Amino acid sequence: MSALLSVQGLTVSTGGKTLVSDVSFSIGSGERMGLIGESGSGKSMTAMAITGLLPANISVTGSIMLDGQEVVGTDDKHLNRLRGVATAVVFQEPLTALDPLMKIGKQIAEPVRRRLAREQGRVTRLAVDREVLDLLDKVALPQPERIANAYPHEVSGGQRQRVAIAMALACRPKLLIADEPTTALDVTTQAEILKLLDGLVRETGMALLFISHDLPVVAEVVERVMVLRDGIAVEEGAVADVFGNPSHDYTQTLVDAARVFDEALGRTGS
Amino acid sequence: MTALDLSSDRPARRHSLALSIGLALVGLNVAVAILTLFCTPYDPLNASGGRLEAPSLLHWVGTDRLGRDYLTQIMIGARTALIVGTGAVAIGASIGVTLGILAAFATRLLDDVMAATLDILIAFPTLLLAMLVVAASDSASLWSAILALGLAISAIVARLTRILAKRVLRQDYIIASRTSGTSWPGVVVRHVLPNIWPTLSVNFALQFGLAVIAEASLSYLGLGAPPPNASWGRLLQEAQGTVYTAPVGAIAPGIALVALVIGMNLLADGLRDVGDPTRGRSR
Ligand SMILES: Nc1ncnc2c1ncn2[C@@H]1O[C@H](COP(=O)(O)OP(=O)(O)OP(=O)(O)O)[C@@H](O)[C@H]1O
Ligand SMILES: [Mg+2]
Repeated sequence: MSALLSVQGLTVSTGGKTLVSDVSFSIGSGERMGLIGESGSGKSMTAMAITGLLPANISVTGSIMLDGQEVVGTDDKHLNRLRGVATAVVFQEPLTALDPLMKIGKQIAEPVRRRLAREQGRVTRLAVDREVLDLLDKVALPQPERIANAYPHEVSGGQRQRVAIAMALACRPKLLIADEPTTALDVTTQAEILKLLDGLVRETGMALLFISHDLPVVAEVVERVMVLRDGIAVEEGAVADVFGNPSHDYTQTLVDAARVFDEALGRTGS
Repeated sequence: MTALDLSSDRPARRHSLALSIGLALVGLNVAVAILTLFCTPYDPLNASGGRLEAPSLLHWVGTDRLGRDYLTQIMIGARTALIVGTGAVAIGASIGVTLGILAAFATRLLDDVMAATLDILIAFPTLLLAMLVVAASDSASLWSAILALGLAISAIVARLTRILAKRVLRQDYIIASRTSGTSWPGVVVRHVLPNIWPTLSVNFALQFGLAVIAEASLSYLGLGAPPPNASWGRLLQEAQGTVYTAPVGAIAPGIALVALVIGMNLLADGLRDVGDPTRGRSR
């Protein structure tokens, strides 16, 4: 069986600087994988390379097979057919990831309309509206009608991230890429969003690439992790192995840091 | 962030006042312009009273040196002003926005060339450009003036659109929208245009006012539309010789001109504030 996503020797560089170097990994359909590493280690670069949306001044080499198609070197028009179909992305900062001048319901309706057009050929407004409210309900937003008619700045940060998740779900992607989806949120909201994301991924059976620098968070939602440092994959394996018995110093530092942090917070390990 | 919004009350009321005054001024101008299509108080081309009559019940703004009713001519001038403003802005907006969006997407080199070209065009005085175009066309007509002003406006609009569009295209929500499969044309229609519209529309109103003033200047210089297209600029020019004996002839078209330009700006300001849901908050 060929994997849903297979990254081979991915190298991302710009102006003589290598941001990601020779990274390889694969994700099967329905599989959940984590990508961890400190800030600037190239996690977002790796994620955006998969969507083929890195700026033109950043060059990508290697191979990214996504749903049977090569991403590297493919023109934008073809890649656009994969976006929202093979992948969807939830970003770190929910406020800036939503168009400030477009009502929330309308923003979710866009991917819904595209998917219905793709799947059924014809789209009615009623079907789109119903699906939008359904999605808002699914991400546990209260009063879906009110939220659908609100602008992004009129709802809370946690609600905005739920909206962003609803937008990603609207695509029904085979692979959901979540780039630090809880980093911008407070601790309580983080836990809620994480639980929601976890539940939705299990329920829909989509694959997940979960990016974070917070080990306990990653451990909660994925089965397998890869540790990035300065654009180099230093370790990869099952969550329990990597965190329980780190073979690389850097991973050990991350684990230690997480433990110290946890103890300081008075959390009881996860 | 969303909890307290103590400032929301006062600005909102001020904005709606600007909007009402703008609507009233522009609305009056539009109503008068439409009215002249059906009837005018007097025949604009022939004398209907004595020469240079002072304002009276029969001639509210008096008559000119040929005995023609001033009010009638000012009313027709309102129609001319609207046609010029609307036509020039329509031409300028359609060419300018298209060029600006294309420049925002163009390669670095092409973009630089376009930006430099626009800067040179903009540095060229609008009125001079309009005079050249009008002089080059065999007869002075309203349409050559509109075309010339429209082209001048398109350079300004293109430069503004390019800068605004580039700024929007750098926003996170553009990439976010792209990841869900929105094509570039889709991004332009759904995100770029709506987000640059508030700023663009205000600029359109400004350009509308400037076009009306430019046309009045052309007419004042004798390069405007020939009769029967009465223009405020020509009225001002004709009243020049008698400005001390019959000042109303100069004051009235001047007031009409200023009222339309101010009204247009107030209307645009008001509409922008009403149309922007994030107004009244930070930003
Ligand atoms: N547009 C760009 N041009 C050049 N270099 C960039 C650009 N964007 C990011 N970088 C660099 O690429 C490196 C990797 O960035 P990346 O965004 O992938 O980090 P990250 O692991 O996602 O970090 P974080 O946890 O802070 O999001 C960083 O050193 C950053 O400075
Ligand atoms: Mg990142």
